[in-house]
Amino acid sequence: MISSFLQIAFAAICCWVLFITIDMIWALPREGGVVGAKAIAAAVEKTGGDLRGGTMMGNIVSSPDASAGTLLAACGVYCFGIPGGLIATVLVYIGNRICYDPGYAGTTGCFLATFMVYLGTQIGIPAEFFIIGMVIAILTIQGISHRHSSRLLGAIWRIRR
Amino acid sequence: MEDSEMSIDGTEDLLGLISGPFSSSYISPPSESAELAALMCGLIALYAVIRIILEQDVMRKLPFLNVFSFAVSGIMALLIPHPLGIIAAATYFIGSTFESNAIASTWAGGVEE
Repeated sequence: MISSFLQIAFAAICCWVLFITIDMIWALPREGGVVGAKAIAAAVEKTGGDLRGGTMMGNIVSSPDASAGTLLAACGVYCFGIPGGLIATVLVYIGNRICYDPGYAGTTGCFLATFMVYLGTQIGIPAEFFIIGMVIAILTIQGISHRHSSRLLGAIWRIRR
Repeated sequence: MEDSEMSIDGTEDLLGLISGPFSSSYISPPSESAELAALMCGLIALYAVIRIILEQDVMRKLPFLNVFSFAVSGIMALLIPHPLGIIAAATYFIGSTFESNAIASTWAGGVEE
């Protein structure tokens, strides 16, 4: 039981690092992709958060980004192995186009996460732990304190820039 | 525990008699680690719902709704270990993202020209 929780924690850290890295490479904090993302950024800034971090949170809400890609890749590998992850990549690409997102963060994230989750299953961490790991990772960004998580994202964005 | 396993076996026999997606050879009952993961996803979904109810600002409800969608699509894939499970989870997730996008854009004053 304890080793299960350690494996979940390890999977959560892997997912967190992967999706933050890919979102930063695709410059999600630079500007809101749609008007709704900008409105969420403004609401987060009003409570004392960082505008750049809020913009990234708005973009995550408004379109499937690398975090959604990682979750769906883990689901795909859990259900159907590597082909499942590639099916998920196609679905995320379609989702990006439906949501008027000009970027490819979700597609890239899903494709890379497929191989990360597959490697994880090879070293003994089951794919289902990557699913809950990604849910925990998104909880730390979107679900605990918008003020602190937006400041953290803003600080990472300033390092990247 | 034994009782529940017996009832799962009984259900499997019943499903084996009828044709349909659940009699596929691909599907098997979720493993113990998948049940642990689904339970944790359920707790996170419940937490997200409580935060959505308590939050006053509509725009700041949406990130919590995003956490809820993540948890529910995770549960869907975990409980349907079948190639169609990934399509169900992905379609639900993309649909809920599109809805959040529509709510946020409408609330913020419509589509930009």
